[in-house]
Amino acid sequence: MNYMHGWPVVKGDYQVGSDKSRICVVTLASHFELAPECMKKVALIGPCHTENLGIEKIIANVVANPNIRFILVCGEESRGHMSGNTLKAIHANAIDGNGRIIGSEGAIPFIENIPEDAVRRFQAQVQLIDRIGETDMQNILRIIEEYYGKGDAFSEPPMIVLAGKKKRKRERLEIRGRGDIVISKDVSLDISSGIIT
Amino acid sequence: MFRFQKEQKIINIAGVKIGGQPGELATVLAGTIFYPNHRIVEDDGQGIFDKKKAEDIINKQSACADETGNPCIVHIFGSSEVGIKKYIEFVSGITEAPFLIDSTEARVRMEGVKYVTEVGLADRAINNSINMAITDDEIEVLKHSDVDASIVMGFNAMDSSLEGRIALLENGANVTEKGLIQIAEDCGISKILIDPSITPIGNGAGIALRMTLVAKAKWGFPVGSGIHNAPSSWNWLRNKKKDDILIFKACDVGSIGLQQMAAGDFILYGPIENAPYVFPMAAMADIMIAEAAADFDITPEENHPINRLV
Repeated sequence: MNYMHGWPVVKGDYQVGSDKSRICVVTLASHFELAPECMKKVALIGPCHTENLGIEKIIANVVANPNIRFILVCGEESRGHMSGNTLKAIHANAIDGNGRIIGSEGAIPFIENIPEDAVRRFQAQVQLIDRIGETDMQNILRIIEEYYGKGDAFSEPPMIVLAGKKKRKRERLEIRGRGDIVISKDVSLDISSGIIT
Repeated sequence: MFRFQKEQKIINIAGVKIGGQPGELATVLAGTIFYPNHRIVEDDGQGIFDKKKAEDIINKQSACADETGNPCIVHIFGSSEVGIKKYIEFVSGITEAPFLIDSTEARVRMEGVKYVTEVGLADRAINNSINMAITDDEIEVLKHSDVDASIVMGFNAMDSSLEGRIALLENGANVTEKGLIQIAEDCGISKILIDPSITPIGNGAGIALRMTLVAKAKWGFPVGSGIHNAPSSWNWLRNKKKDDILIFKACDVGSIGLQQMAAGDFILYGPIENAPYVFPMAAMADIMIAEAAADFDITPEENHPINRLV
């Protein structure tokens, strides 16, 4: 499919290759540089350090590109955050009603900005290739070679979620105090006295 | 400038005072040592590092603190139980400054907390941190330790808005059974430092500045952050390093001033090697804030940069 204008939809610490590739590569706490000819075979490659915002970015970019059908999870696990373990957990188990990623061993494995249907779409769209701990570039390149053109695109159109700050909740502040500068619902600054109450 | 109606708490950790009204105390600065990929670390698992270089950078930070009047803390980061103990032992032998015990892994932090209790260093230690992921084991370890100072983190992964962060500290926001402040107090933490949590730029980094004001207005606790994590996590800026490293450095160090202007009392400024750039920046902001707050009957302490550098 070729309807990838504006993809990837969420910016991050990764390199963009071909939006037609079937595979993206998550390198967890490791950083790998691919040669230009290899970049043509991956959709995205880059690290994922955190078990919350990092996972959200991966899901947002994957469901926005139906061409991606495989995610290679490799590199050193992100200590404490356990982002590799968490990526596997959300793919296998999704999230509970509070946004907690079921079965994750990460410290704070919560999804805030991704709707549940995007998580379900992520589960359906891609297969994970679990090579957590793999840092041998030759092995990684072999897997990319095997999967970059494998199978068909996902049958549904792109799903656009988490358009960065556009999704952020806006707070409407009611002015309750006597202050001239509103800081929060109940905190304000009176400019004549300079007092924050 | 401004002052808070609410009385502002000042805590004292190993002689370093943190908190107060804007302009009252110098901003306390914590540089990180033994962080991931720190060049002086040879084996993080075993806690093997270049002691000469470590001593030099710790002393450099202390010298910067002595010169400007901004007190310092050594922010110790460890990834292993063995390592964190060796790091604490070493740092405490080099400097009298307080230190933070930090790790992304709870088991490492717990080992650090147990260790400082065993060897009698708890009065210089600050746990980093009590956060929404705190486990029952961590609570028990803190309860049975002599550590009485901790950062309490306002990171709410389910609701990163100001309201969500405040609620997490206040009542648990349906994430923890109680508010994190109550949990800290239950753990015997009498010296609470609030960190509003710096999320990446584009993911609410700026909310932390507003939360600094709100947290001080609401509770009066000392508040501060690792604001350098905002520029550090900004991909656009990181790419500028290729053109000129100073572009990144200017934003990295300059971010400190933002936190100070939002009434921050302490700052975790990142790699300790940045001390020669960070301390003058913080001192300059402190001086200007103190001048601006003078009409509020705020008297800067004796060692404040305004009394040492101008």
